[in-house]
Amino acid sequence: MLEIRNLDVSYGYAKVLHDVSLNIKTGEMVFLIGRNGAGKTTLLKTIIGLLQPQKGSIVYAGKEISNLSPERLYLQGFRYVGQEKKVFGNLTVQENIEIAAFASGEPMDVSLKKITSIYPKIKDFLKTKAGQLSGGQRQILLVGRALVGEPKLLLIDEPTQGLAAIVIEEIIHILDSLKKQVSALIVEQNLSLVKQLSDRIFLLKEGKMVREIISKSEESGIQDLEGYL
Amino acid sequence: MHYTIFYGLTIGAILYFISIGLSLTFGTMRVINFAHTITYTIGVYILITFVIFFKWSFPVGAVLAILAIIPIAYVIERFIIRRLYGDSLDYTFIATFAVALIGVDLIKWIWGPAPYPLSDPIGKYLILFDVSLPIYRVLMVISAILLFILLHLFFKMTIVGKIIIAALDDKDGVRCLGINVDKYFSLVFVMGSALAVLGGIFYAPISSIHPYMGLAILLLCFAVVIVGGMGNLKGTFLSAFALGMLMALTARYWPQGAETMVFIAMAVVLIFRPIDI
Repeated sequence: MLEIRNLDVSYGYAKVLHDVSLNIKTGEMVFLIGRNGAGKTTLLKTIIGLLQPQKGSIVYAGKEISNLSPERLYLQGFRYVGQEKKVFGNLTVQENIEIAAFASGEPMDVSLKKITSIYPKIKDFLKTKAGQLSGGQRQILLVGRALVGEPKLLLIDEPTQGLAAIVIEEIIHILDSLKKQVSALIVEQNLSLVKQLSDRIFLLKEGKMVREIISKSEESGIQDLEGYL
Repeated sequence: MHYTIFYGLTIGAILYFISIGLSLTFGTMRVINFAHTITYTIGVYILITFVIFFKWSFPVGAVLAILAIIPIAYVIERFIIRRLYGDSLDYTFIATFAVALIGVDLIKWIWGPAPYPLSDPIGKYLILFDVSLPIYRVLMVISAILLFILLHLFFKMTIVGKIIIAALDDKDGVRCLGINVDKYFSLVFVMGSALAVLGGIFYAPISSIHPYMGLAILLLCFAVVIVGGMGNLKGTFLSAFALGMLMALTARYWPQGAETMVFIAMAVVLIFRPIDI
């Protein structure tokens, strides 16, 4: 489905990603792990078109997409949830969803139904300004917003970072419900979540892809990962 | 005192018309737009072309001036401002200031450097609280309040307005929802420029029309935007009227210090609330 080959990405003169390759198959939930500064966020931002690679290719459904803008990639089914948990804080939760529905051309009631099916409690704060939500509620809103339209590939950066254990459980439940429905590449440091949900894991170290673990067949490999974080 | 308060409201209304575009431009595009002065000034010169040279009525001239500035503002945004998105503020400052200076010379070349007078198009007075108030100025204050309400409704009720508000918060977030933000930024820029011209049209009959009129008022408008919060629509409205009132009250007791007080207020805000700006 998505094939990244020999990607180099720099910020100015500082090279962040070195010859990175990975692939995601249809319906797979792939996790990307690594220490802070390893280049995980840079990789997601490059895939979604917010950064341009200096070398290498990103091929989606057989077509080169590394020069496409985020707007074009959205139309192809790419959805990005950044690690900053940035919602449109001066708009209500409903208006946040309304913008996503407008962009995708999906009727608002369909979008709302889709989001309430994964997180029914969202009905209670539809009229709340998104800026007043807790970190967990923001994260759920962002994931919900990403499901509007016809998502094919979710790119989610650190969905549980800084969240309380009870909220992490909810996020795990939501991500679990999305398995097989949509492909996903998720950056995450929470190894218990990674073990629970991953089909495959890629380990990024100092901008280089150092290891790929096929979760179900390499239980011992997953145990070793803590040493890398 | 009643007249001083009314004078303050008048200045506030003018500052609001001109500042709202600056505030939106900075809030959405992160561009310090000195070119705003030139769209404002050119708009006023187009007005006097119709009213003084062609002898057309003031309202017709005003509408034509606003319409004429739309393509000019679009060209400035499309070919200069859009290239500055994401650049450092220094570059945006230098580039837009260059546009402003080129515009001033262009005005001198077309209309000449001499100032033009323009009289109050209504010329009638309203007696309120035993004070005789020019109806034209009353209309100016009412228009500013109406504009605030209309803009509030536009940003609250329309999807275009909501997208602009969303882009103020998180431009990349809007882009990642498949929305071409640049298209909406063009709209914001053109809308801001048209409102600045409206401010210029209101201000022209009570001031002097000269090629540097935009530069003269721009610094005051930057103070309004900084005090109100860049990109903050309600803040810009309140700040414009508060600083207008501050100018009027200062001018009553210390005429030379009227503008100085505005910048002192701005400095105080910069010292105590730097993070929100």
